Amino acid sequence: MWGQVGQSLNQAMVRVLSRFASLLPGLAALIVALLVSVLAASFVAAILRRLLVRIRFDERVLRTGDFPSLAEWSPSKSPALLLTRLIWWAIVLVGFLVGVSALDTAITSELALRVFAYLPGVLAALVVLMAGSIIARFLSRSVLIGAVNMNLQYARLLSAGVKWLVIVLTVAMALEHLSIGGDIIRLAFGILFGGIVFALALAVGLGSKELVSRSLEREASRMPARDAEESFRHL
Amino acid sequence: MEQDTIPGETLELIERIGSADMVVGVLQSDPEGEADGAARLVREAVAGLSGVARAVVIHNNGTSYGQASSLNGTEQQDGVVVLPCRLSNPQRSDQPDAYRVIFAAGGKLAARACGVIASDLRAVTAQWICRLVQPSLEKGFDLVTPCYAGHKFEGLLNKSIIAPLNRALYGARIQSPLGPDFGLSGKLLGQILGQESSARAGQPIRLAASITADAISAGLKICETNVGVRLQPPTDWMNLSSLVAEIMGPVFLEMERNAAVWQRVRGSQPVPRFGEPAPMPDQPGNTDVRRMLESFQLGVQNLREVWGLVLPPSTMLDTVRLARLPADQFRMPDELWVSIVYDFALGYRLRTISRDHLLRAMTPLYLGWVASYALENEPAGPAAVESRLERLAKAYEAGKSYLVSRWRWPDRFNP
Repeated sequence: MWGQVGQSLNQAMVRVLSRFASLLPGLAALIVALLVSVLAASFVAAILRRLLVRIRFDERVLRTGDFPSLAEWSPSKSPALLLTRLIWWAIVLVGFLVGVSALDTAITSELALRVFAYLPGVLAALVVLMAGSIIARFLSRSVLIGAVNMNLQYARLLSAGVKWLVIVLTVAMALEHLSIGGDIIRLAFGILFGGIVFALALAVGLGSKELVSRSLEREASRMPARDAEESFRHL
Repeated sequence: MEQDTIPGETLELIERIGSADMVVGVLQSDPEGEADGAARLVREAVAGLSGVARAVVIHNNGTSYGQASSLNGTEQQDGVVVLPCRLSNPQRSDQPDAYRVIFAAGGKLAARACGVIASDLRAVTAQWICRLVQPSLEKGFDLVTPCYAGHKFEGLLNKSIIAPLNRALYGARIQSPLGPDFGLSGKLLGQILGQESSARAGQPIRLAASITADAISAGLKICETNVGVRLQPPTDWMNLSSLVAEIMGPVFLEMERNAAVWQRVRGSQPVPRFGEPAPMPDQPGNTDVRRMLESFQLGVQNLREVWGLVLPPSTMLDTVRLARLPADQFRMPDELWVSIVYDFALGYRLRTISRDHLLRAMTPLYLGWVASYALENEPAGPAAVESRLERLAKAYEAGKSYLVSRWRWPDRFNP
């Protein structure tokens, strides 16, 4: 009996070792793919960084004021560095997936296929997030300037409300693209979006009752002043 | 400028007329109850001019030639041809399309002089038209700009920004660089038409804003003429930011276009002025600036992050300090106002933020200046106001070196 046990163990050992030996070329390929991708990523990132420095990308992006959060997210507050690091990691990730699929096992191939299938969704979510961030900023600034020019005391509240409505909508759309959450996200978005609108309505209708009445009183007291303002001509 | 600028029926008629000594464009409709008002005014004006055998009036009265009557009879009677025309946006202050049509017609008719009357016809007189075109026809001037008689709180955008900025940039002391009424020589017309042809392919030029700058840049002869009191619609306070954006946008755009010219100009010179000044209209009674001060303070509270993208920290600090002053002590220093205007012009050029946002965000600052000017000049007479505006114009000239430095090195020079 002990002889049979020893034989079984030997056979198992041989099977595992032969399986491991068959994986070795794949592992070597993975390591090579990783090394090549790291080298390629470093090369591309260096060229890109030099190019971005030459066109003064950081100054151009930060000076527009349309991407203020970009500076906060960026390492060393440099959007150029952020972009080059993103490109570096993307190339390394592609190299890793190529290496993983070289292992030629059913699981790793499936993993690589799934990751590649997921990538378009990630890219779409990133685009949606970026566009949403720009639109939210543009709209909130439009509302803020318009409300200040209309002498509305709650200009900042209106502007923040618009900004968060757009951001919530954007995040929900991005999560939808990432297939995260499913119905929970839809439900949560409905509740959150409705909640913000309801809160704004309450703030203006009930919470800011006094503010509104004070505004109306001020408007009423301005009526005689309007005649005095008629003396001014701007053209 | 091409012939397709002119509406079809009008172009056909212009080709039939062939040539004219003078073209007058009237951009507003006849006053109520006076059907032939524009034609009558021009006829009277032509009677007072020498050497005008034929004048063509292009009248934007919303009708077309087909609907008009007795055209030939009018011409044979006194040498004035009236072409009714329908031009777009007759109520807009800049009236770009209307100016284009009139200049194109003037070019097509090879006119020696061209007048544009954009003001409300209830205030316009024959002498007004005569004074606008006479210097071109008889004294060889290429551009005649109007001098309106108005009380101290009229034309505030012009007084606070347009006139002193134009003076500092181009070195000519002109009261109303943007008209909107103008007199032009055939030579200037030819130049504008040439520039328009080349601009067609790219960005179209806003003519009213570019006429004066183009004439000065080309070294043409410019003069002013006293015309009279101009009627203006009451201010729509709810849409003041739109007005500011509509007027200031083309001004800053012209600044960008002519940067190579104005950076070489130093100091300023007066231009000849003709005609007796019209009597001043009644001074306004009491003035109330509470609303304007509130708007300025609200802007300081809420728009700091927007202004901070355009204004340097020192200017921001001065603005915040100003907002804390009580109403009776509220005075905006000229240097502060000038640097605000120059920084906004630079922000417009650099597209620091959306150009529309930038111009609209300037409105509370402008109202701050108006409030300060009104508080300071409420008891002042015309001479004191004149000298106050002269001080402001000199501040613009003194601050020009700051503008030039920031314009040339926006990133390096940031005080």
